[in-house]
Amino acid sequence: MATLTRGAFAKPGTSLQFKTGDWRLQRPVYLHRNAPCHVACPAGEDPQAYLARLAEGNSQAAWETLVAANPLPAITGRVCHHPCESSCNRGDYDEPLAIHGIERTLGDEAILHGWNYPVRPLSSDALRVAVVGAGPAGLSAAYHLTRLGYRVSLFEAESEAGGLLASAIPAYRLPRSVLGDEIARLLSVGMTFMPRTRLGRDFTLDDLRADHRAIFIGVGNQRGRQWSVDGVVPRDSRPGLDILKEWLSIGSLPAYKSVAIVGGGNTAVDLARVLKFSGIPEVHIISYRAVPGPGVAAEDVMRATAREVRQAIEEGVIIHEHRGVRRLIIRGERVAGVEMVHTKKLTRSAGRRETVEFEGTETILHVEQVIPAVGQEVDPAGLEMLLAGHPFLHPDSWGRLEGFEGIFAGGDVREGAATVSDAIGDGRRAALAIDSYLRNSALPASQRPVVRLNDLNVNYFEPQPRTKIELLPVGERNAEREIEQALPLSHAGIESHRCFSCGECMSCDNCWTLCPDNAVLKTLEETAAGDHYVFDYDYCKGCALCAHECPSGYILMEPEP
Amino acid sequence: MAQQPLEGSQAIAQAVALCRPQVVAAYPITPQTHIVENLAKLIADGKLACELVSVESEFSAASVVLGAAAAGSRAYTATSSQGLLLMTEVLFNIAGLRVPLVLTCANRTVGAPVSLGNDHQDSMAVRDAGWVQLYCADNQEAIDTTIHAFRIAERCELPVMVCVDGFTLTHTLEPLEVPAQQQVDNFVGPYAFARTLKPTDPITLGTVLSHEFYPEVRHAHHRALLDAQEEIVAADREWHALTGRSTGGLLSIEGPPDAQTAILTIGSILGTLADAQAEYRDQAPAKLIKLRAFRPFPVDALKQACEGLRELVVVERAVSLGSGGIIAAEVRAALSEMSSPPRVHSYAIGLGGRDVPMNAYPKLVAAAQSESPPRFAIFDLQPAKLPAEDR
Amino acid sequence: MTLEQPTKSCSELRRAQPVFRGLEAGHRACQGCGQALAARLVTEAIGPDVLIANATGCLEVFTTAWPQSAWRVPWLHSVFANTAAVASGMEAALKAQKRNTKVVAFGGDGGTFDIGLQALSGMLERNHNVLYVCFDNEAYMNTGVQRSSSTPHAAETTTSPPGRERAGKRHLKKDLVTIIAAHRIPYAATATVAYPSDLRKKVRRGLQVEGAAFIVVHSPCPLGWGHENALGIEVARLAVQTGLYPMIELERGELVGAMPIREVHPVTDYLRLQDRFKHLFADDPRAREELEHLQELANHNIEVYGLRAQKPDRFDSEGADTVRRGGMRTA
Ligand SMILES: Cc1cc2nc3c(=O)[nH]c(=O)nc-3n(C[C@H](O)[C@H](O)[C@H](O)COP(=O)(O)OP(=O)(O)OC[C@H]3O[C@@H](n4cnc5c(N)ncnc54)[C@H](O)[C@@H]3O)c2cc1C
Ligand SMILES: Cc1ncc(C[n+]2csc(CCOP(=O)(O)OP(=O)(O)O)c2C)c(N)n1
Ligand code: SF4
Ligand code: SF4
Ligand code: SF4
Ligand SMILES: [Mg+2]
Repeated sequence: MATLTRGAFAKPGTSLQFKTGDWRLQRPVYLHRNAPCHVACPAGEDPQAYLARLAEGNSQAAWETLVAANPLPAITGRVCHHPCESSCNRGDYDEPLAIHGIERTLGDEAILHGWNYPVRPLSSDALRVAVVGAGPAGLSAAYHLTRLGYRVSLFEAESEAGGLLASAIPAYRLPRSVLGDEIARLLSVGMTFMPRTRLGRDFTLDDLRADHRAIFIGVGNQRGRQWSVDGVVPRDSRPGLDILKEWLSIGSLPAYKSVAIVGGGNTAVDLARVLKFSGIPEVHIISYRAVPGPGVAAEDVMRATAREVRQAIEEGVIIHEHRGVRRLIIRGERVAGVEMVHTKKLTRSAGRRETVEFEGTETILHVEQVIPAVGQEVDPAGLEMLLAGHPFLHPDSWGRLEGFEGIFAGGDVREGAATVSDAIGDGRRAALAIDSYLRNSALPASQRPVVRLNDLNVNYFEPQPRTKIELLPVGERNAEREIEQALPLSHAGIESHRCFSCGECMSCDNCWTLCPDNAVLKTLEETAAGDHYVFDYDYCKGCALCAHECPSGYILMEPEP
Repeated sequence: MAQQPLEGSQAIAQAVALCRPQVVAAYPITPQTHIVENLAKLIADGKLACELVSVESEFSAASVVLGAAAAGSRAYTATSSQGLLLMTEVLFNIAGLRVPLVLTCANRTVGAPVSLGNDHQDSMAVRDAGWVQLYCADNQEAIDTTIHAFRIAERCELPVMVCVDGFTLTHTLEPLEVPAQQQVDNFVGPYAFARTLKPTDPITLGTVLSHEFYPEVRHAHHRALLDAQEEIVAADREWHALTGRSTGGLLSIEGPPDAQTAILTIGSILGTLADAQAEYRDQAPAKLIKLRAFRPFPVDALKQACEGLRELVVVERAVSLGSGGIIAAEVRAALSEMSSPPRVHSYAIGLGGRDVPMNAYPKLVAAAQSESPPRFAIFDLQPAKLPAEDR
Repeated sequence: MTLEQPTKSCSELRRAQPVFRGLEAGHRACQGCGQALAARLVTEAIGPDVLIANATGCLEVFTTAWPQSAWRVPWLHSVFANTAAVASGMEAALKAQKRNTKVVAFGGDGGTFDIGLQALSGMLERNHNVLYVCFDNEAYMNTGVQRSSSTPHAAETTTSPPGRERAGKRHLKKDLVTIIAAHRIPYAATATVAYPSDLRKKVRRGLQVEGAAFIVVHSPCPLGWGHENALGIEVARLAVQTGLYPMIELERGELVGAMPIREVHPVTDYLRLQDRFKHLFADDPRAREELEHLQELANHNIEVYGLRAQKPDRFDSEGADTVRRGGMRTA
């Protein structure tokens, strides 16, 4: 019992004896939720996390955070269609973060400074895993497996690694030196790279199984799809991808005055641009789908990266959207033109979308050649058993192939994958699945909830325009010079401060500053969750003010247990 | 020690100055005004190093000295009448906080009707505020009591109100002895309040207290006031040793030891009654009891003083309207503890500044012998002046 | 999911906080009390070298239930009306003792706009070196939400209830700042919990000037205003962004600064969140008129103080609360 003090004075801070925590009906918890950019990234990057490191001024830590998911940021920073940016919460506030530009800058910084992946040396009894195909899918799988402690043999049919990155993506988008540096660093993490070794020719799956505990198939889709118009194929017709690859490997291109490319993917657009750069005055693209733009439904957009389509148009490529080829106009043996017709994808019965051609909308386009760029399929050599007659493989989201224990697949070899980041993500997830398979451990737990704009308190942010990324003026562009310019590191740093830090503490001090009950404590050492704040539940009254004022949606109110 | 002619207010101001207050709050009200005016002049002349805060009300005056005392400075203010009542809320607060302060109340009645006249209605109204109340019979006592007050306040951690009759004392010029600075310094000592607010020991003063402790806090305060009796007596004793002057401690008795009648009173009418006592020594022999300390109320000293008395006339300068004599009521209660207490007669006199003449003395003594005395009466009432229905 | 706590216990961490906090946990304010927050922010900006005089009111009551005190600064409560005078006395004492410790007075709106106004005026007129901080929750909260002269026009309180004959408080909010300005003191300002950096900056300025300084801090009261506990800051921010509670600074009575409003919100954005204005959203012509009236009062403020931002700046109503990664907001 207390003893009276003269004049009933009290000692400082003695209110701490009075635990107001039991007034609480709900309690705040610090909870890392997912940023939408992370959820949207096919490669599994968490841009929020590396933007934070960069904003803190540590670009190497940012890069290390980044390559924990994606080993090739200098590449994806250039070629990825960056769905992270389309999903960025900031896009609903002012403009999305220039994530791809920052990713690229970090990748370039790593090359410049010769940063290495943080990888531990393999133990002598490391298990052996085979990876077939050294495109982005195979490279990613091999990298992650090595990081996870496996001894990887990487088999590649060609003499160089890189897959389509090397063989099909032109230098104006992906300079060869960047590609070379990224791949060289990756190959040197401690795997065995075996070029010019083709599955189905030099070895079989059974050979691999003999001395590997698991296999990842990342051979892509190498075979051009058959194409004709009512059975008619132009003379000299070659798949567009072959033309592109040939130009990339030996530098030769066909010379026409005018040409129409059929298809709306990256191959069509890149080939069109290459041809345009080579001096062909009239280059057309004929696509069932639409040119990307505001209000165009995602499923109706040309599959090529929007940015590339935009640039192609700037450069004078003529795109005929929503058009199909009705007929080839052949004069003698040569192509004289195509008859196009308006088309649209419409939802028919049972929700199936079909391309409908509208009679009476035919037009003639006079061109010297028609080049199909209508997609590839998997070359079945060596994979017959797995394909069982299908054009693609159908692994689950972890790359597992039903009925083939120990065999995993990802990248373009899978139906539905179409991008470098898909391939990298597939390779990463398959590596985790292989690890879990070999260790007989559980796969990583399910996803955290995603933070949306209304979970944030944007009062604490200022509108600030997106940092501009410069493009080479159209007149100065050619097939070799990189068109999109780098975001200088300093600009990248400024840009990183625009990040809302969705779902993750940004150490803004708001909760600590605004708790009326002094129930938020700051700590120098990191908490288990990686932040620097602790709720003192002895005193927190559960008013939820902190949760409401947390700018980044990192505080969640839970019913009191 | 040389005497010098001084006005009461001036004397009090000098006594205050000798105690070296660091903060004085000033607000004018008759008859107190001259005290703070004198202090202001002493400060202006550089004779007293002190912060003079010329406040905008007595309520603030009391508050200023409270703040100053809590912040570690000896502080002083003075007031009267309406001003004292305006302070009331703060007076209780100061005492409850157990903050040592000295306040001079230049006693004046309380309106309405408005009057500048002297009586004790003001200080009696705040008798339960928890302050020590000492009443002065003359201006020498006012000087000495003021000096005692600082020492008592600081030693007991209680505020002390020095009550001095307005005009009769404050405005009267007489030869007075003003002690030497060194004497006062030794007697009072430096100001040291145990609960001084300071960042190095950041305590909280003025808390909220529940009923769980309220009776105890009242007990402690009451006890402190009772204990202050010793300090009041000791101060007087020591001051006497230093100066040869005594103010009588809690109370003092004058007159024939064998007299069975006594008149008890408070404040400056003692002077008149003492003169009359001498004058009517044979016609109306009686003792005179000077009550100096009204709070704490000196029950034991009083009982002792009343030993052997048959009639005790309590003459006071205030009325508890609807009840009667304030001091008398307390005296009656105190003496009821005696085995054969005197009869207690209760009269108010000199209300609103009406002059108390010498001849009041024999009349009072005579009244004391009455067969059926009134329980209470206003002694100098002139009923003819009342409308019929109020007589 | 409860996260693991770091190796240090909460009480160890509490002792090792990077800034001094004059108001400790364990006080008994309601959940989400804006005044508790305001007082903590203010004492934080002041630091430990201070004496505080505190008026009667919620803040006094919820911090000092003997034998406990939530204060870590020397603190004194006397009565309701005399705080400015107590502070004057403290200041006089410190001056006499030649101590440099600062003196700060705390009062509610009742204790400042109403019952303590005279003592405050005296303190300002005498120009004591005291910072007076009024925590304005716009009613007598401690006694159960009665109207004060600071209660906004048309607001409901227990002594200004809406009914058939009345639409809440009949009178206007007292323009206290103008009264303060008339004293021509070195510094006076309005502030709010919604902009803590701005508040801290003003407190520091108030302490820095030689002589009397006055700051009134808009402090939401979930109980009295009837808003959700979590929305105190939101509500206070909207008070600024609507123009109903202008953020201004005065030196020697002259306007020297105002927080521009980048995006002026309609007053209904603010009013709608609070039950004390609920009756104004009834389908009733008088309610509509009062809403218009409040809008015009906001418009008047915007005009008089020139609050509309010309171009965005980092100290306007949108910029002033901007946070940065790594905390430690500017100013
Ligand atoms: C012209 C063009 C432009 C593109 N632009 C973009 C773009 O901008 N952004 C984007 O995200 N995506 C783009 N893509 C798609 C992207 O390149 C692919 O989705 C991605 O490269 C798929 O990676 P992968 O590893 O699965 O397959 P690939 O890149 O095709 O790599 C497969 C690898 O396996 C090797 N291989 C094949 N068969 C065998 C075998 N039997 N034995 C051993 N090795 C074998 C191949 O030689 C190759 O190295 C583009 C594609 C093209 C064609
Ligand atoms: C002289 C006096 N009158 C009335 C009261 C009762 N009382 C105590 S606190 C209070 C209201 C305080 O209101 P305010 O100053 O606005 O502070 P709040 O409680 O709203 O923070 C009142 C009326 C009192 N304590 N003293
Ligand atoms: S308010 Fe700021 S410091 Fe607190 S959890 Fe949210 S982001 Fe982190
Ligand atoms: S602001 Fe403070 S009291 Fe309110 S819920 Fe958060 S930690 Fe608890
Ligand atoms: S009534 Fe209002 S001001 Fe008082 S403690 Fe509760 S929320 Fe705070
Ligand atoms: Mg209030």
